Amino acid sequence: MKLWYSFTKELVLSSKSWYFYIELGMAIILLLILVFVVPEEFNSKGNEYLFLDLPQVVRDRYRDTLLEEDLDETAEMVEVEADKTIFNAEMYETEESKIYLLDSMDALNAFSSSERVPAVHVHVNEDNQIIHTYYLQGYETQKLKNLLLVFHNRKAGYDVIDDYSDNIIVRSIYQDIEPLTDRQNLIPVFLTFNGSLMSLFIISAYIFLDKSEGIIKAYAVTASTVWQYLLSKIGVIIITSIATSLIITVPIMGLQPNYPAMILFVVTSGFFAASLGLYITSFYKDIVQAFGALYIVIVIMIMPNISYFTPSWDPDWIKIIPSYIMLQSFKEIVSLNGNIAYVLVASLGFTVLGLDIFILANHRFKKTLTL
Amino acid sequence: MIKVKNLYHSYSNDDKYAVDDVSFEISKGEIFGFLGPSGAGKSTTQNILTGLLQLQKGDVEVAGYDVKNIKNKMFNKIGMSFEQSNVYSKMSGLENLEFYGKLFDVKTRDPMELIRMVGLDGKEHIKAGKYSKGMKHRLTFARSMINNPELWFLDEPTTGLDPAIASHIKDIIKEENEKGVTVFLTTHNMYIADELCDRVAFIVDGKIRLIDSPKELKLKYGEKLVEVEYFRNGELVKESFSTVVEEERNKLIEVIKGNDLQTMHSKEATLEEIFIKVTGRGLV
Repeated sequence: MKLWYSFTKELVLSSKSWYFYIELGMAIILLLILVFVVPEEFNSKGNEYLFLDLPQVVRDRYRDTLLEEDLDETAEMVEVEADKTIFNAEMYETEESKIYLLDSMDALNAFSSSERVPAVHVHVNEDNQIIHTYYLQGYETQKLKNLLLVFHNRKAGYDVIDDYSDNIIVRSIYQDIEPLTDRQNLIPVFLTFNGSLMSLFIISAYIFLDKSEGIIKAYAVTASTVWQYLLSKIGVIIITSIATSLIITVPIMGLQPNYPAMILFVVTSGFFAASLGLYITSFYKDIVQAFGALYIVIVIMIMPNISYFTPSWDPDWIKIIPSYIMLQSFKEIVSLNGNIAYVLVASLGFTVLGLDIFILANHRFKKTLTL
Repeated sequence: MIKVKNLYHSYSNDDKYAVDDVSFEISKGEIFGFLGPSGAGKSTTQNILTGLLQLQKGDVEVAGYDVKNIKNKMFNKIGMSFEQSNVYSKMSGLENLEFYGKLFDVKTRDPMELIRMVGLDGKEHIKAGKYSKGMKHRLTFARSMINNPELWFLDEPTTGLDPAIASHIKDIIKEENEKGVTVFLTTHNMYIADELCDRVAFIVDGKIRLIDSPKELKLKYGEKLVEVEYFRNGELVKESFSTVVEEERNKLIEVIKGNDLQTMHSKEATLEEIFIKVTGRGLV
């Protein structure tokens, strides 16, 4: 009953504090960013700039080949700007890229030297061989350079490469999972950081506010326990996390996510993060002193984001960082036919770990009430 | 009500003790003053007794409970008024008291009765954050009575209050004590200690130097003289008479009977003078 009184009191106090509205406000801002700024799919098409310094016949054949690959099989006449000069160009849009055929060597030089983009000069040598001269910018990888060498090596001509690529079978391992759009793919990141991990910092703010007012001491000399005080704070933070998570998810994902699993995971991961925040807080007098430790935790927790957006970089050590598991779990939750077993196991893990840290934090707070 | 035996406490976990071999006992219904300058070990001792600091070494029993294993039930019997006001600034005075009342397992007092008692009636719905320092202090004081404590810890209860309100607070302490409440008063204000306490302990550098009643201390350390000012043949005369030498006592009686007295003071020592005499230290 005392826990309930403390919880309702904390809820009332939170509703009167800035932190509460900052969290809700941030969730709305993130939602607006997702809706109005982030496109459904990012445009990953690269731009290629070529100057065909070729006899008319060869140039026409080159154009015909490009037209075959063009999405609407028509070339578009466009104006492109480089080095503050407007140039005319023919634009061909394929599935992978936008190819601009420039009208002069000056245009090619302008793009290469001023716009710092790779450009290709296609010309014929004295032996009537077609030569591709690449003006690279220095940041291209050796893999790309090797690929270009292979691509233009006569011993492995187009036919060989085409034949090889045609015989590659691409098979999805998880065939019943619909991939998320680029916009949807950002939601697990927002849920992890604005939902679960924000608990870590917000609880520190709440505790330090109470410490500065001496409230914890006053609470400690009542017949209520310190753990009830701490848990009531966690409860309020989890309620806020659930609200912010729903604000971000519902308008974007509709009914697709598994909401019971999501609420369960927000509760368990939020409990873990808040307990960790409590434990860190128990060592310090005020938020200024605690900031160093909190900053280190922030940096460590951010690292799995790199792996999330660059799946090829996924070392084993990063998988033990809690935010990695949170990101993956939220991804499973919002995905159609996501792996809910993974989410449940992760929830259990965060509950057990959170409980252990909470017990430690409670023990620390009992010892440091007069700090 | 309180038994403390060989209590030690070190903040640095070495032999630099903030509280050094402190022992005392307080009986039920007593007002016990714990007096000393800042940093003497008063608050450390009080924090150990109330469980705010963990007991490191020694035996402490408070309200029948062993402080080594504090039970939350102990706090049903205890009230604590802090020197620094610590109330929820975003809640009104009344809400503060109502909330704290819910944290005890015993019958609690009517928050409005306490609000009226400390003179905050009419301001009970104002947020505590908007209270003046003195008002917050009174609210903290009122909160410490919410659970009808048998043992009442008061840390500088009149600090920062104007004389009229301080006097009112002292009256409340006396009234509660008359009802049987035991009071552990921590202060460096010798006047309030002198006025309220049945016994006082002087603590300096973590050690108790003396425990006795203010009356006994004054008798023991004060000069047994009476100073009289009176008119003799139209002139103002000032004389001192011993209260223990028979001849001087008789002379004093004659002066009182035969002259127009202007002032008469016993020359007993103040607690502050005794403190300095005993400890060799001032109170600030």
